[in-house]
Amino acid sequence: MRKMWHDGKFATADLRQGQEWGRHAILKAALGISVLGLTGILGTAPLQAQTARQILKSAFDNWRADSSYAVTTMTVRRARGTRKMTFKSWTKGTSKALVRFIAPARDAGNATLQLGAATYVYNPKLNQVIKLPASAMSQSWMGSDFSYNDLARSQKVVDDYRQKLLATKRIGGRTVYVIEAIPKKGKPIVWGKQILWVRRDGVLVKVEYYDQLGKRVRAMSADKIGRIGGRPYPVVMTMRRDDRPGTFTRITTTKARFNIKIPAYMFTQSNLQNPRN
Amino acid sequence: MSGTLHSFIQLAWRNMWRNPRRTLITLVVVSAGLWSILFFNAFLNAWMQSSKDATLKLLIGSGQIHAREYMDNPNIKTVMAPPGARLRAALERPEIAAWSARLVLPGVIQSEYKTRPVNIAGVDPATERRLSSIPAKIVRGRYLNGVDDDGVVLGLHMAKRLKTGLGRRVILMSQNADGTVSEQSFTVVGLFDANQKTEDFYVFTGRAADQRFLHLNAEISEIAFAVPNDADLDPVLTRLRAAAPQLDVRSWRQLSTYLAATDSMMRGVIYIWLAVVFSMMAIGIVNTQLMAVFERLHEFGLLRALGMTPRRVLMMVSLESLFLIGVGCLVGMALAALTIWGLRGGIDLSAFAKGLELVQGGQVLFPKFDLASFVVFPLLIWLLGILVALWPASRAAKASPVEAMRHAT
Repeated sequence: MRKMWHDGKFATADLRQGQEWGRHAILKAALGISVLGLTGILGTAPLQAQTARQILKSAFDNWRADSSYAVTTMTVRRARGTRKMTFKSWTKGTSKALVRFIAPARDAGNATLQLGAATYVYNPKLNQVIKLPASAMSQSWMGSDFSYNDLARSQKVVDDYRQKLLATKRIGGRTVYVIEAIPKKGKPIVWGKQILWVRRDGVLVKVEYYDQLGKRVRAMSADKIGRIGGRPYPVVMTMRRDDRPGTFTRITTTKARFNIKIPAYMFTQSNLQNPRN
Repeated sequence: MSGTLHSFIQLAWRNMWRNPRRTLITLVVVSAGLWSILFFNAFLNAWMQSSKDATLKLLIGSGQIHAREYMDNPNIKTVMAPPGARLRAALERPEIAAWSARLVLPGVIQSEYKTRPVNIAGVDPATERRLSSIPAKIVRGRYLNGVDDDGVVLGLHMAKRLKTGLGRRVILMSQNADGTVSEQSFTVVGLFDANQKTEDFYVFTGRAADQRFLHLNAEISEIAFAVPNDADLDPVLTRLRAAAPQLDVRSWRQLSTYLAATDSMMRGVIYIWLAVVFSMMAIGIVNTQLMAVFERLHEFGLLRALGMTPRRVLMMVSLESLFLIGVGCLVGMALAALTIWGLRGGIDLSAFAKGLELVQGGQVLFPKFDLASFVVFPLLIWLLGILVALWPASRAAKASPVEAMRHAT
């Protein structure tokens, strides 16, 4: 999934207006999607533990430990219209990810490869691989409400934040932990806090981002949690910005497999440019 | 001959006051025209000076020194070592009022809401205060305390764009000396109010804090210096180039080509104004003088009949114009000098500050009495005035005695 972002940047000029926001949002969405999705998949083992940090960590560990393959449709709603893009994604651990768009035709072939801190973008129209400068990491991924950073840093909320269990709720017959995460001092994080809603089985139900004055900026929520790839999984997730009512980015996973073997060539620049799959 | 000239002068001077109303009209035309030229010139110069000062004092200084490649490609690789003993000695000379070493590199600033490209400037507040007006333009919070201050000072407009504010964290990102990207959270400690371009282009932090952030030792990217006296600038540049031959020493004219172009354009504008005003004055002068000549045709005819040559008639009428325009010039100069003296406290334009910001003007203009323009412009008007008055004078010289006598009775 992650790879899609840069292709999107080239292909979705019409969505560019939303980029300031969109950048973050897209990346985050993409990351969030991966994170949430994977978490869901892996999260079947009930969380018994009980500190907020452990709850979050096991959710993210589950996600991290895995390799995955998914087919996903991203819907970006803007005032001027709605765009739908479909991509395939492969992930391995926390640092390797490849996203390749397959539809619509004008976006097909765009791909993004993430290897650790480095992000490469391939655009078939240019037939070129571009290493994304760090300054572009906060830009909109494919014109969505996610940024490349959103994709890359999903587990910062475990390492760079202090977590606190705010409440334990019963929602739809399931236990949901509401966790507040506040950035540790000195960490390069703009958010004032995040509120994460984690289901007892490890599925991330909702992530809310707040500014430093305590005002909510955006929220990603799992609109539908189903079983996919043999796991409970947030099949439909939506990222919304509070200051842009009526717009959103929705990610719908149509197919997913987890803990699969992925050949090593998958996460190479050569495969980014000349797909073998 | 000198006796004749003397009597002609006397004659012309008396003639001039024979019709006081007409003379006064011409005097008003000439003096008002000259007054407008002189005052407009002083006003434009003051405006030019103030916008130049405002722009240069903001950040640029009178000139800057960079590594050779920096201006073409400002990045972490085109930094330079702090000034050595030789350059330092050249910078400490009395012609240079202040100098400041900065580390200015492109980066990105990020808030909860937005990410913007920006130039991150690491400065030394102590030297910066003497060179740049930004430390004095803090409207909320404070300026930086020292080179180690790791707070960040943003422009008002930038803070508004980022939807951030005093006391909140922003993230700065930039390529560091190791080739990777540094990102660090900085607390907003102050907001400055300059022009929008500067507010959007620059954020400021302590120089040493910036160097640590980018994994540099003591490297800087620019030295800005202020030379208060314009005439000293060229020798100073020559000396600095000699002291640091490997570096790129530039004057503000090369750094701010827009300002340099405005500067030379403004100098041209005053001559355009002079042409406009003078053509109006010429119409006024020629018109009244022609009228006078027609009314006095009988007199000229009589003079001719008494034996005065056409040449002398021409001389007499020209002498009248010479006095007339000369007196007008004197009155105009006096008025202009009085106006400038009256405005010595400055013209406060703060009411138009918003509009002026666009043309980089200061808020208070100080028109100055400029001796050269008080010599050049009146002389020009006087000579040109006498030149156009030759036409009515030549009409007077053509007066025929017979014609004139016929009308006499």
